[in-house]
Amino acid sequence: MASQSQGIQQLLQAEKRAAEKVADARKRKARRLKQAKEEAQMEVEQYRREREQEFQSKQQAAMGSQGNLSAEVEQATRRQVQGMQSSQQRNRERVLAQLLGMVCDVRPQVHPNYRITA
Amino acid sequence: MALNDNDVQKQIKHMMAFIEQEANEKAEEIDAKSEEEFNIEKGHLVQTQRLKIMDYYEKKEKQIEQQKKIQLSTLRNQARLKVLAARDDLISELLEEAKMRLSRMVVDLKVYQELLDKLVLQALLRLLEPVMIVRCRPQDSLLVDAAVQKAIPDYVMVSQKQVEIKIDQETFLPASSLGGVEVYSNNQKIKVSNTLESRLEFLSEQKMPEIRRCLFGANPNRKFFV
Repeated sequence: MASQSQGIQQLLQAEKRAAEKVADARKRKARRLKQAKEEAQMEVEQYRREREQEFQSKQQAAMGSQGNLSAEVEQATRRQVQGMQSSQQRNRERVLAQLLGMVCDVRPQVHPNYRITA
Repeated sequence: MALNDNDVQKQIKHMMAFIEQEANEKAEEIDAKSEEEFNIEKGHLVQTQRLKIMDYYEKKEKQIEQQKKIQLSTLRNQARLKVLAARDDLISELLEEAKMRLSRMVVDLKVYQELLDKLVLQALLRLLEPVMIVRCRPQDSLLVDAAVQKAIPDYVMVSQKQVEIKIDQETFLPASSLGGVEVYSNNQKIKVSNTLESRLEFLSEQKMPEIRRCLFGANPNRKFFV
């Protein structure tokens, strides 16, 4: 009869160990899922950092070329203005002569529709 | 006794092994499932976040392009305005020179008198009122007087109307102006301006397209210009 209770004890202990094993497995599972979130987060952060760098370098490139563009535009403008100035120099006498001629070309006339009423 | 101690022990050992095996299998099953779920969960999370980040940065990069285009367009616009302003300045300079030359021209009294004669007659024939007031610069009074005297017979002949012409003694054109006359109706409500400034202004305005063409060349953007 002592052997009976010993046997039962052994069985009970075996049950207890089995339950612990399963419980451990469950705890591991929970941890693994938490790990999934953490690792995913890290990978995502990594990706974000890469993309941010890409973006920054693209922006820098754009800023750089901006300076070039404005210089080009300025140059084109200056050339145009200079062209106009030299053109004006060349032609101003002719234009002035015409203009002044017309100012002084006075032709006193009465209106063509004017009717002489009694 | 159905079983002796040995048999009982053996039985118990059997059962213990069975329990242990069951537990191991269950634990393995749980582990395998946990790996699977780990991979699925992680993959899913990474995927969704990555897509979001990708979208975000694609949009931002597109904005850079847009900003560039906007800035270029602004630059070009400002440049165009600068060119137009320069053109305007050049034309103003030309008109100032014209005024200077006119002012030098009227110093020659013979030339100026001839001009005034015609200016006065033209203004009178424009206004065609029975009573007219002629206004001039203070220094031109005598010249204008002579011009008016010459104009009256011509006017009467052309218009076939009698006329009375007064020379304004109260108000004069500014002494600094270039010359010419203004002619008013008797109640001063109608005015004909035949001063050199107004003629120059009117002419330059009317002839501006031509002036621009002469000074700067034809506009290359006009497709249907005859």
